[in-house]
Amino acid sequence: MALDKQFIGREYGPYHYTLGEEKMREFTLAVGGAKPGAGTPGEPPAHVSPLLYDAQVAKAGPHGGLIAFPSFAVVFAIRPFSAAIVDPALNINMQMLVHGEQDLEFLDVMRPGDVMTTTGRIADLYERARMGFVIVTSESRNQHGTLVVKGTWTAIIRG
Amino acid sequence: MPRTYQPGDTFTHVRECDRYRPIYYAGASGDYNPIHIDPEAGSAAGLQGNILQGLCTLGWVVEAIAGFVEDPGRVRRVKARFSRPVRPEDTITFQGRVTAVQDGRLTAEVSATNQRGEDVLKGAIVEAFIG
Repeated sequence: MALDKQFIGREYGPYHYTLGEEKMREFTLAVGGAKPGAGTPGEPPAHVSPLLYDAQVAKAGPHGGLIAFPSFAVVFAIRPFSAAIVDPALNINMQMLVHGEQDLEFLDVMRPGDVMTTTGRIADLYERARMGFVIVTSESRNQHGTLVVKGTWTAIIRG
Repeated sequence: MPRTYQPGDTFTHVRECDRYRPIYYAGASGDYNPIHIDPEAGSAAGLQGNILQGLCTLGWVVEAIAGFVEDPGRVRRVKARFSRPVRPEDTITFQGRVTAVQDGRLTAEVSATNQRGEDVLKGAIVEAFIG
């Protein structure tokens, strides 16, 4: 797998995403193990925090309202990574690609209506043990300009 | 009294990947890669069937630490390598152990093993605010 180091530093974005309350709830419950059906994201399993789906409980809670499940961030913050791996310049064989590693930092909570702006760049490209590694970093800021999510996304291209 | 945390404290979280979980997660996340939702596509890629999205497994790690610190809004970081696929009908046990508590923040190592005792994640760490 030949990866051309000249593409290190290549930038993707900005991409904009507005958080919707129902989408946040749907994600929380899909991760949490609920069984969705037509018209409903399903009944919340007991282990899922109501701060993530019950607006009334959340309003009286530590954040004063509903917050997103932390890794809901992948829904929008993945965008530079997904753009990079299909970038024709890199010429990656998608059939040989696996998501190898993930690092997410959550610097603030996310709320319904927040508008996130994500940018990213190829932080590294290298080969090891005949496999290719593509490292993309991302930063997502909310409408106040606050850095909320930092991501490091690693794709491995086999053989 | 707020709960206190010490290095060496442990926590456990168990999740089953039911048959349609990769499809539900695809709907919620937008990750419709055929290897996750179509057993034939997974087999064609050499995976012996469809596999759960690694980011769903990572979400379960987030659940584990969020439950331990009793507030998902306190989760500060999650990091892991995806070392083995999670398949429909697998049961994954997450076991966390606090390695450091300082400046209102805790760090923990998390292992994730399937029902055969095989690791599905390597080097997983989480951080959370506890102040």
